[in-house]
Amino acid sequence: MILRVSVGLVYAFLLLPLVIVVLAAFNAGNYFTFPPQGFSLKWFANFFQRREFMQALWLSTELAFWTAVASTVIGTAAAIPLVRGRFRGRDLLNAFVTSPLLLPQILTGVALLQFYTLLKMQASYGALLIGHIVVTTPYVIRTVTATLTHFDLALEEAAQSLGAHPVRAFFEITLGVIKPGVVAGAIFAFAISFDNFTLSLFLTSAKLTPLPIELFAYLKYSFDPTAAAVSAFAIGVALVLVLGIARFMGLEEFTGF
Amino acid sequence: MTRGARVLLLGPYVLLLTVFFTVPLLLLLAISLSRQSFGQLEWTLTPQHYIHFFTDPYYLGVLADTLWLGAITTVVSLLLGYPLAYHLALTRSRWKPLLIVFILSPLLVGIVIRCYGWMILLADRGLINATLVQHGWLTTPLPLMYNKFGVTVALVHVFLPFMVLSLTGVLKRIEPQLIEASQTLGASPRRAFFEVTLPLSLPGILAGSLLVFSLAISSFVVPILVGGFKVHVLPMVVYEQMLSVFDWPFGAANAFVLLLISVALIAVYIKVTERALRGIV
Repeated sequence: MILRVSVGLVYAFLLLPLVIVVLAAFNAGNYFTFPPQGFSLKWFANFFQRREFMQALWLSTELAFWTAVASTVIGTAAAIPLVRGRFRGRDLLNAFVTSPLLLPQILTGVALLQFYTLLKMQASYGALLIGHIVVTTPYVIRTVTATLTHFDLALEEAAQSLGAHPVRAFFEITLGVIKPGVVAGAIFAFAISFDNFTLSLFLTSAKLTPLPIELFAYLKYSFDPTAAAVSAFAIGVALVLVLGIARFMGLEEFTGF
Repeated sequence: MTRGARVLLLGPYVLLLTVFFTVPLLLLLAISLSRQSFGQLEWTLTPQHYIHFFTDPYYLGVLADTLWLGAITTVVSLLLGYPLAYHLALTRSRWKPLLIVFILSPLLVGIVIRCYGWMILLADRGLINATLVQHGWLTTPLPLMYNKFGVTVALVHVFLPFMVLSLTGVLKRIEPQLIEASQTLGASPRRAFFEVTLPLSLPGILAGSLLVFSLAISSFVVPILVGGFKVHVLPMVVYEQMLSVFDWPFGAANAFVLLLISVALIAVYIKVTERALRGIV
């Protein structure tokens, strides 16, 4: 009983700020008070009418899309030898490819900023995209690894003994079986890129601002609920993406429990 | 799998990581040892920026505050996260997927948005203070934001999911028979928890704590937005040196101090999680 109540309270703590942001987005007043002052969509209208927010939204979507595509291809390819290969230094390589996950992103951001500046390629679209691919690929490797370890190698061998070329056997059999992990990895990569703030902050300019950076800049100077509408929109996107992961991979498999 | 296939499959990412991750980090080290005059870098091997950092009381204070905030965040996350993970590991409820969504959702919602949620709640004219003043329970608003209290609340909120994920993984692998056996042998549920479950979950506690601590000491969005630049932490100093002061070598030295702490924590983390997996399965 005590456990259930305390668990309930902690869930409430986790969800409270998100719920408040969504309520504030639909609230008519300039300040969010309780009880709310009536329903309004004017903050959403404001969000969709402001050019800088629309440009930022488009940039974030495009960036997240290409990040997801690239990191899924690169990450899926890398996961295969990491699970199946038996070679010296595999554990070390495993630690190396997941290291961007463990190192605080501010450090990756600072290091990339200096690197790009010395190469005179700072604040370019390509530079930002590469940064995002570097930090999202380890997530893809993880989800693909999770499904690949369950895979029965005999299936692929059967296909090969029936005359299929190893490459064909991979594309027709293996990829079909590990698809849940690949798709979940792609969705997760999209989500991480779409919401990324820390890395982007160091790699953007006035002309190249993804949505989280635009929101941050907006919040530094004003407190009006347009920011809440932007946030509520992003929360909606996150929710759709979680449902996508649940549908393709199952959340228990995805989180490992 | 042939060597050629391996190289072909692993090559692209290893190459990408080497050029755009390892080399930049080595460059960071080189810059932290260089000198800057009139905006130009001179490639030297001087420890002067590290000496500056470790002899200036201001920066030592910042370092102490950073580690202190990280420690409090870790302890509170553990206290809140353990019951949650325990419940999640044992529950057979059909609502379990929904509970996982609740834990994952703050993770997938951008950090700026989560801070903004706390700003709406904790500000002087925010929801909590406005409600209290409106009802006449308070005359002046409580100082909930722009201080260490607000920063800690938001940091716990941001990093709690990582603690829960680390703990649940380990708790789930504890065999229920072990707990049943201890109870059959006469232990009360309370004693079974403290003498069987808790010791067996220690690797998860350690792994989760290391992860949360390492993330908390490198967070700068929370101190900037919820702390309003009033709570000074190491990553914020890095941010300011890099993007406002443009003192690259000193900023890089600050970043490298943070990096060394993180790498040390990560090394222990990898050791612990390996042992965690070997020890329980």
